[in-house]
Amino acid sequence: MILEAQCINKYFLDPEKHQVLKEVSLSVPEGELVSVYGESGSGKSTLLYILSTLDMDFEGNLKIHNQEVKDLNASSLTDFRNKHIGFVYQFHYLLPEFNVLQNVMLPAMKLSKKNKDDIRKDALNLLSEVGMKGFAKRPSYQLSGGQQQRVAIARALINDPSLIVADEPTGNLDQKNSELIFELLKEITGSRNKAVVIATHNPKIYHNSNRSIEMIDGSIRL
Amino acid sequence: MSEQVFNKTNIFIALQYLAARKKQSFLATIGVLLGVTTFIVMINFMTGVNDFLDDAVFNGSPDIIISATTKRNSKKKPGITTNYIENSDKVDEFLEKDQNVESFAHQIISPAILISDAKQFPGSINGIFPDQEDEMVDLERRLIEGEGFQSLSSENTILLGISLAKRLQVSAGDQIKMILPNGKNIVLKVSGIFSFGITTIDNVRTYVSAATLQNLLGQNSISNIHIKLRNRDNVRLKDYLIQNINDITTEDWKDSNKTIVIGNKVRDILTWSVSFALLLVAGFGIYNILNITVIQKRKDIAVLKTIGYSSKDIVFIFLVQSLIIGILGAFFGAFFGYIISYMISTTPLDTSDFIIVDTYPINFKISYYVLGLLFGILTTIIAGYFPSRKASKVDPVTIIRGI
Repeated sequence: MILEAQCINKYFLDPEKHQVLKEVSLSVPEGELVSVYGESGSGKSTLLYILSTLDMDFEGNLKIHNQEVKDLNASSLTDFRNKHIGFVYQFHYLLPEFNVLQNVMLPAMKLSKKNKDDIRKDALNLLSEVGMKGFAKRPSYQLSGGQQQRVAIARALINDPSLIVADEPTGNLDQKNSELIFELLKEITGSRNKAVVIATHNPKIYHNSNRSIEMIDGSIRL
Repeated sequence: MSEQVFNKTNIFIALQYLAARKKQSFLATIGVLLGVTTFIVMINFMTGVNDFLDDAVFNGSPDIIISATTKRNSKKKPGITTNYIENSDKVDEFLEKDQNVESFAHQIISPAILISDAKQFPGSINGIFPDQEDEMVDLERRLIEGEGFQSLSSENTILLGISLAKRLQVSAGDQIKMILPNGKNIVLKVSGIFSFGITTIDNVRTYVSAATLQNLLGQNSISNIHIKLRNRDNVRLKDYLIQNINDITTEDWKDSNKTIVIGNKVRDILTWSVSFALLLVAGFGIYNILNITVIQKRKDIAVLKTIGYSSKDIVFIFLVQSLIIGILGAFFGAFFGYIISYMISTTPLDTSDFIIVDTYPINFKISYYVLGLLFGILTTIIAGYFPSRKASKVDPVTIIRGI
């Protein structure tokens, strides 16, 4: 099991105490793509931030890659995330100061397990896998939304993490690009044996996932 | 897990950010450059002037002067009086015991008229003992022509200040006549000409041997004792002398050079305050630029954090940016400061009545350059630290959720 969440409770304190997540449990093995859907405010994004260790202010247990994340301090958590979790956001978030290739290389340069030449090779391989090799030297801001999202997926994969978390990855794309991105994520799940969790509004995605979970008022509908 | 934040990747990211805002980075660097340049030029010039005045005035005049107030009537010519110190032995004994006294010298001072073939002018004649005076005043360094105090050992010789010599139109080897207030006169050979660089000294001061002057005045006494101190700021000796020795007055270097002492202080204050103000402005420039960058780049910082860059990495990335600006600005500032100081030091100075000098005095002390560099770099570190810390506190969840 790559991801094991047990009895997650989460409260917002502002403006008044309010329970956003209620006893949420979820396990995802490798090679499975799970999508979480539900109305706005149902807590799916909040759940996703917790599952990706960005939000550590919750009750319950969360194991990723057999590591209880609550046992990690702030700096080891950053390293853990760097190594084991890849992110894809709704708004792509490539860094405009860097070109496409450099954007993909950044997480690996932080990990610094390999030398720069090997990292560059890996990054180019990933870019060709997502069909963006020809754009490697382009400044990232010149790319279209769909192109940027493909680069972001390559960036999420560079350190070969076991878990990929995607928050509305197609939320900002047209239908054709949405399908392309989803196909790409699905392909990665299978071929690279990753655990993938997607929060989405898109019925095409949650109908075609290995498993889909609906969230209502902070709970998973059984 | 305490990985080094000082690594190539973080520096690469910092450089990339700087390069993305070339114009702002350049302007911030110019700001530091101006601050450091001004600091260097001002401190070189101001301390140059201070040191020049210190050297000319304080080394040309003693730290404490004891003068006699007793008048003794000349036996031969009634009505003509000279001051003398009654019990100089007692003073000597005391000075020899005092730890703070480096050396002291006896003098007999008298006004006189100096007459050359061409002109005549009044002068202040210092009758000195060459061996004692050598300890007090480094005349060798100030000689324009001829020889120093030791030349007074041969009879009937005189040393002249440069301005006086010029006005009398004499040079070393020429002869002049000296007439004292009691009417006695003597022909003296000019054995040397000196310059202290201060017009008020070079205009009137002359040295003859004490023996020559005592002979002419018909008395064996002295009128002044000059004292050089080890620690010039400690002048307690002065009060002690006044209390214990009768019929003398004392004057210390602060009394006799009030304007210069105050001038030095004013120049110091000016230098430090202007330099500080300029560096402060430069610091604010950097603070501003980085602060705006941090606000504009919150999303990017959030992304960097989610892909594995720690808060320490972020602090380092932003601090490096201001450090690069600081180091570049400080080094170029020191360089331009040196160039400008050098140009000033070669600029001819139209001599005023007060000092005599060919070009502006500049002090090229290396420690001022080190100080300027430290100042510039320190300012940028402080200015960069607060925005950097702000950047490191960006919470990725708030940023990503906030869209």
